[in-house]
Amino acid sequence: MYGHYNPPFSVEQEGIAISVEKTGEQWIYRRKFGTENVEKIILGDNKRLIVNPVEPLNTPKEITPNLLIEFEKTLLLAGGAKRKIFLTFPIEIGIFIADKEEKNLQLLDVMSLVRQKFTLYGEVSNGVICKHWKSQIYPISPSPNPLQEGIMELTLRNASSDWATISKVVFSAYGMKLYYAGDVFMRARMDILNRNTAETGFELQKLSGELKSSPLKEIKARKEAFGVYSLKKLGIMPLNFYMGSGF
Amino acid sequence: MITDLAFSDTGFPISDGTVTLGSVLKFILILSFSTLFAKILSLYLRRSLKDRVSKDMGETIIKIFYYGILTIVFLSNLSLIGIDPSALLVAGGVTGIILGFASQNIVGNLVSGFFLMVERPIKIGDQVQINDVSGYVTDIRIISTHIRTFEGLLVRIPNQQVFTTNITNIVGHPVRRFEYTIRIRYSDDANAAIWLIKDLIDKEPFALLNPSPSVFVSDLGDSSVNITVRIWAPVNEWFGIKTRILWDIKQTLEENGIEIPLPQRIVRIQTDSKKVPEELVPVQEKEIESVLNYEERVLV
Repeated sequence: MYGHYNPPFSVEQEGIAISVEKTGEQWIYRRKFGTENVEKIILGDNKRLIVNPVEPLNTPKEITPNLLIEFEKTLLLAGGAKRKIFLTFPIEIGIFIADKEEKNLQLLDVMSLVRQKFTLYGEVSNGVICKHWKSQIYPISPSPNPLQEGIMELTLRNASSDWATISKVVFSAYGMKLYYAGDVFMRARMDILNRNTAETGFELQKLSGELKSSPLKEIKARKEAFGVYSLKKLGIMPLNFYMGSGF
Repeated sequence: MITDLAFSDTGFPISDGTVTLGSVLKFILILSFSTLFAKILSLYLRRSLKDRVSKDMGETIIKIFYYGILTIVFLSNLSLIGIDPSALLVAGGVTGIILGFASQNIVGNLVSGFFLMVERPIKIGDQVQINDVSGYVTDIRIISTHIRTFEGLLVRIPNQQVFTTNITNIVGHPVRRFEYTIRIRYSDDANAAIWLIKDLIDKEPFALLNPSPSVFVSDLGDSSVNITVRIWAPVNEWFGIKTRILWDIKQTLEENGIEIPLPQRIVRIQTDSKKVPEELVPVQEKEIESVLNYEERVLV
């Protein structure tokens, strides 16, 4: 389903039907998924639609830029250690409209096929609302459904000399960079500063493609996805998340 | 300062020079232009800060910027009207006392406005309750705070009143809790009802996982088993969820055969065991008995 489409077109996968048809002088965008029906009128020619995975923080309503991934099993990391693990994260499917040169992007529609749930990170008085996701910890890259889940390569660095007990990690969407081909991929890091605090962020460099730690994975060139948050005027939004209420 | 108008064409001799009509006009012009300039700059600043900082923070920065420019221009041009700014500093204490007495309320509101901006117990856009007024804060000015009530009315509250009274900031924390009491019949399975309610909460995205919701039997009432449901939700979403989940709970329970009982009272009439059944009583005695034993009948 992910890709670039020139109208008129129609595509259907896993119960999602997306189409753009010309009716008179105007284009009609239609999206059906389950009981959801979205219909929008597009006034403008020579446009292109881009369907790609976006940050999982736009549905059912954008109330937070933070994603909390809870580990199914608690992880213990030795002092001074650096390890790489794989997690899954939820995907939302973004449909953008752009010029043929893929400039002047505008979000047309966004949807999610996975369970939506929110949680609070921190205390009631000063915590932050986060989108919640529960993931297993994988030693090698898993193969989830790319319309529902993505793969996160997370590098854990324990800068302290103590053991770190990790059961969750929080990320800010402002720093997220998603890449996709047959799967959806994100590379992140978590730097444990002391017993109770850590900093998380994303690796922004362009991927050459392969997951080196996964011998089974084909070498493939992933495309960088257009993000909803990267379209926004960021101003002074921090790209990293400071976890000051434990992990 | 000499105030005789006969000298107005030549100027007012003062302690450190002469005030002419031209210099007064110049002072007014400078003030007018700087006000216009500050307004234009504020507009530009508002536009450039729009997507960078929150509305509340932006408005505070703009106000500090705006009044800052006016104060600097005013003080730096006081010499045009014959006032030495350094003399103001010397006379500041005395002037302050005089001003304090003369305009106690205005100064009180002004100072309160300053502290409201610094302490920030409320911000523009917050839902608050101040005294008996509930609504959204639309503006915090130097003298007064503007509230748009939930009914859409504009209420202007002097800052002194805002600062000295109890303020309930409904959105002061990121999350808040709401609660229901669900009544089920004694004949229904309370564990099943709790499971159904928990499942429903689990499906609601905005019912937070942490702090976790709690569902428990809280009371064995006169005519029902009472189940308390406590749910935490994002502060801007709680009302929508509260109204939505309550109806969902009612429907789900009913679909599963669990009913919410109407208030009821079971009345049992205990008959006298020694009393001879009406059918066996001879007609004559029956008439007498009904009169004699009238008070002895027991109603439970």
